[in-house]
Amino acid sequence: MTRNNPKIFLCDDEQSILDVLEMILEPEGYEIIAESDSTKAIQKIINEKPDVIMLDLWMPVLSGYSILESIRSNPDIGDIPVIVLSASMHEEGMARKAGATKFIQKPFDLNDIIISVNSCLEI
Amino acid sequence: MNNENINLYKQALDSSNSGIVITDNLLEDNPIIYCNKAFENITGYTREEIIGRNCRFLQGEDRNQDERKEIRTHIDKLQESRTVIRNYKKNGELFYNELFISPVVDDQGNVTNFIGVQNDITSEKTIQHELRQEKASVENKIIERTKNLHENEMFLSSIIETVRESLLVLDNEFHVISANNHFFKTFKVSSEDTIGKILFELGNHQWDIPQLKSLLHEILPTNNPIIDFEVEHSFPNIGKKTMVLNAYRIEFEGSYKDRILLAIEDATDRKEIERRKDDFLSIASHELKTPLTTIKGLIQILQRFSRDNMTEKYSNVVDKIVLHVERLNKLITDLLDTSKIQTGNIESHKEPVDLRTAIEYCVENMTAVDRSKRIDLKIDNDYTVYADELQIVQVINNLLSNAFKYSSKSNMVEITVSKVSNFIRVSVRDFGIGISFDETSKIFDRFYRISSTQKNYPGMGIGLYISKKIIDNHHGALWVESVLGEGSQFNFTLPIYTKTNDEK
Repeated sequence: MTRNNPKIFLCDDEQSILDVLEMILEPEGYEIIAESDSTKAIQKIINEKPDVIMLDLWMPVLSGYSILESIRSNPDIGDIPVIVLSASMHEEGMARKAGATKFIQKPFDLNDIIISVNSCLEI
Repeated sequence: MNNENINLYKQALDSSNSGIVITDNLLEDNPIIYCNKAFENITGYTREEIIGRNCRFLQGEDRNQDERKEIRTHIDKLQESRTVIRNYKKNGELFYNELFISPVVDDQGNVTNFIGVQNDITSEKTIQHELRQEKASVENKIIERTKNLHENEMFLSSIIETVRESLLVLDNEFHVISANNHFFKTFKVSSEDTIGKILFELGNHQWDIPQLKSLLHEILPTNNPIIDFEVEHSFPNIGKKTMVLNAYRIEFEGSYKDRILLAIEDATDRKEIERRKDDFLSIASHELKTPLTTIKGLIQILQRFSRDNMTEKYSNVVDKIVLHVERLNKLITDLLDTSKIQTGNIESHKEPVDLRTAIEYCVENMTAVDRSKRIDLKIDNDYTVYADELQIVQVINNLLSNAFKYSSKSNMVEITVSKVSNFIRVSVRDFGIGISFDETSKIFDRFYRISSTQKNYPGMGIGLYISKKIIDNHHGALWVESVLGEGSQFNFTLPIYTKTNDEK
C-alpha cells in the first residue's frame, strides 16, 4: 500500500452500512478502515491518521457527536475533515456547529458519498 | 207616626241598595213580614213569593253552613250579628250574602221581630277568592322557582365536580372564592388552605408563579378570555407540572362582574406521552432507515458497476426498485417530521438560499427518478430567500412529487418563479386530475386524503401538511388553485432576503 492511496476511516454501528460504504469507496482507489465499535474509534483515528473520517451520528454508547468533539479538541487529529451521516435531515445545523465538515443524509446517494470524499480531499 | 211619614220611610227603604227584611218572631217559624225592593232584586223572588216564608228558604239545599250556627248563637243571646252566608237566587245562582241581623225587643224583653239587612257581596268575594288563588299560585311559583334554582345549582356544581380539570373562581383581587375537588386532588391541597386565600400565596407561596402572575395581571385585562396558556412550574410537594390554562374575567353586569374563572388542565402526563411518542417515532424511523440505507446503497452499486451488462428488462426492474425505495424513504421521513412539527420541535436553520439552485436541484432529482415527465422551469431572475434550504427543498420536492403522482395522463409540469411585492412566489402547476373546490381547504390537514383518489394513489396524507407548516414557519403562505379534471397549481411565497431585516 503506497501513501498515495488516501485513507478513509469509517465508523457506523451498522456493519451492513460499513459494507456498502466500503463497496462504494474501494473501487475509487481509497484505503478503507472500517470500525463498528464507536468506543474504539478515537484510538484508531489517532493510530491510523486517516485523510477523511466518515461518521454516523447515532451510535450506541459513544455517539458521533462525542467522537466529533474528541477529534476537534485533539490537535493531532483536529484538522481531519469529517463527513457525518444521519437519518435525520434536521441535524445538519447541529452537526456543523459540532465541527462536521460535511453532512450527508441517510439513505445516502452513492454519488454524494464519492463527491463529498473527493471534495474533502481537495481541501 | 202619621201615614205620610210611614210612606216616606217605606220609600226610603225601597230606594236602599241593601235588601231589608223584617220577620215576626211571635208568629210560628219566624216568617218574613216585610221586604224591600232591593231584597226582591237581589234574590230574584217577588214580594208575593217572599212574604210568609222563613229566611232559610234562600239557602236552598246548602243547609249545613257553619254560619247558621253562628247566627243562631247571636240570636239566642239577643245580639246583633254579621255573617256572610251562601244564598241562592230564584234561578239557582249562588250569591254571597253579607247579612246583618238585629233583634227587636219589647218592654218585657221578648224578641218580637228580627230585622235583616243584606248585601250581595259576590263580586267582592270573587275578587277575594281570585286574589287568594293568585297569591297561592304566586307562592307555588316561588316554591317551584326556588326548587328549580336549587336543582340548577346542584346540577351546575355536579358538572363542575365531574369535569376532569381544575376550576377556580377568583375575585378581582385574586382571592380564591371557590375551587372544585379536582383542584384539591391534583395539587394536593385542602379546601381550608385554599378558599379565601390569595392565589399566589397558596401553599406557602408555591403558587407564586411569574407566568401566572403576568397572565392575570397583564394579559387578561386586555385579552379576555385567554385560551390555552401554557405554564410550567415545579411545585415543592408534587413536582414539575405542565399546566394549560383558560382564564375568563366575567364582564356581564351584576354581582358576578369582574370575577375570574380559571380552568387548569394538568397536561404533565400528556406532554410526557407526546415526548415518548416522538422519541419512539424518531427511534423507529432511524431504525427503519438503516436497512433502507443499505438497500439503496447496494442497488446503486449494482447500477453503477453492471450498467453496461444489463439488459433493458433488468435495468427497468432495478429502476423500479430505486423508485420504491425512494418512496419508502419519503414515508419514513414524513412520519418523523409530522411528530416533530406537531409538538413544535421542528428547527429551522435559516441562511440565505439561492432559489434557482434549490429548485434546479429538486428538478434534477425528480426527473432522475421518473424520466417520463418533463419539468419546465420559468425563472426570470436570481432570487435569494432567507430560509432553511433543506426544508424548502423538502417542500418543492413534495409539490413536484404530488404533481407527478396526480397527473398520470400528462407528462408536463411547470414551475414558475416570480417576484410579488416583497415576496418570491413559486408556483408548481400540473395538468392532472385536479382537486374539487370543497377539497382544496382540507388537503392541508394532517392525514387528510381525498377519498376518490385514496385507492389509486398511495400515501399517508402528511406531505402537504408538513409543507404548509414549513412555509408558515418561514412567514410565507402556501395555497392551491385547482380545477377538477384540468390540473392543480400549488403556490408558495417566501419573504425576499434583505440583509438588514433577517439576520438578527
